[in-house]
Amino acid sequence: MTEKSFDEALRGLETGEEAGAGSGAPRGAAADASSHPSVAALRDRFGDAVLHHTIMAGDEHVVYVASERVRELLQWLRDDAGQRYDLLVDLTAVDYGGGRPLEVVYQLWSTTERRQLRIKATLPLTALEIDSVVEIWRAADWLEREVWDLFGIHFRGHPDLRRIMMPDNYAEGHPLRKDFPLRGRFTRAEQTRRALAMAVEDFYTPDELAVTGGAAPSGTPKATESASEGGNGVPDRPNDPDWSPGTSGSAAGGAPAPGGAQP
Amino acid sequence: MGVAERDMLPTVPGAGGEPSVLTTRLDAVVNWARTNSLWPMPFGTACCAIEMMASAATKYDLARFGMERMSFSPRQADMLICAGRLPYKMASVIRRIWDQMPQPKWCISMGACASTGGVFDVYSMVQGIDTIVPVDVYVPGCPPRPEGLIYGILLLQEKIRGEALANKVLREEDPERVGRQNLPADVIDQVALPYGNSTQQNRVSGLVSTTAIARPTDRQP
Repeated sequence: MTEKSFDEALRGLETGEEAGAGSGAPRGAAADASSHPSVAALRDRFGDAVLHHTIMAGDEHVVYVASERVRELLQWLRDDAGQRYDLLVDLTAVDYGGGRPLEVVYQLWSTTERRQLRIKATLPLTALEIDSVVEIWRAADWLEREVWDLFGIHFRGHPDLRRIMMPDNYAEGHPLRKDFPLRGRFTRAEQTRRALAMAVEDFYTPDELAVTGGAAPSGTPKATESASEGGNGVPDRPNDPDWSPGTSGSAAGGAPAPGGAQP
Repeated sequence: MGVAERDMLPTVPGAGGEPSVLTTRLDAVVNWARTNSLWPMPFGTACCAIEMMASAATKYDLARFGMERMSFSPRQADMLICAGRLPYKMASVIRRIWDQMPQPKWCISMGACASTGGVFDVYSMVQGIDTIVPVDVYVPGCPPRPEGLIYGILLLQEKIRGEALANKVLREEDPERVGRQNLPADVIDQVALPYGNSTQQNRVSGLVSTTAIARPTDRQP
């Protein structure tokens, strides 16, 4: 990558003024649908729901689809006799910054056809919601929890959508979003206080915490409000002598008051 | 130190069966025992743990210095070695392990990340474990070689030899402090902001001396 294009890429990150960025149009030149049998089949069956098809890195076929039909489309990709994408290799998301829409990425592999396919669905920042595919691939369970945790994308119909990477009492938002400050929104003192205030017993059942012989986690986890942005059931310690509001509200980068509203 | 270590070892003078009598200071004999039977509680979270394992293995052989056994239960451990970066999610865990360890106990912060946060000046990482637990010896390096860790342990042994039983402050624990952070909130902010602990600690904390053994209280301005 030349220096010039690198600078351009950086500018795009800050302003979103990349070609077609405002509309959230998919990147990459349109590829010939016949170059991948599944893409041709997808176009035949789903028509307008298949928005764009491009090839990246030589032979990576990327298909942009309409986010509202992604579940139906992925179900067909797994079950159709000609497709059989029975392995969900990865499910993740990308934030390109600059107010551009987030992309949810499904990387699929067909063990019988020995083919791979990448499905992408774009979500505008104002409506970060998409259907869960846990019913299709069980592997999507934790992957969707991770995407929810780090990007804040809500998966409709997920059986147990709560944080998986960040602490359960984390209230600073979703860290992998481009608008998230590198050091978090709270001061280090407040982050430390919250980290120590977390008791795992508040968020996990005894079964989940058992080292040996614990039954598989089932039923309802205690932190059911996790889907409601940040978890306000924080076991706060107002009597903590180490903490005072004056020391924690003064973070560099304009942190909101602890427990404050999410931006 | 009035008595050299080798003088404290019980000797049997002659075969005549006289009783072996040894006079020494209580501090000296207690510290001698503590020094030479430090059992580490390994808290390895990252690449430093690989070096810690190498330290315990045959080539470097920590057992030479009395670390006969890595104690994977905090109840039987004397020395917490935090080897690697500590995310906030693990902060309550290391604090709980520290609280579970019986006195006397010491802590070694191994490597740049455990000591200061290192390169991880980010939302998820504790900026120095001394904000969570009191640290006796900081071992620099990224990661430190086994020689570095062993040198840190030898320094800790040096420190233990200088302790006095009469000094109650060393071993007293406030039940109110269980599960709490080690440094006051304003000190945590001062050492960690605005550029992170690793680049700021000396300037912000007013710590003048950079002696190898430094209590976290030395950092308070």
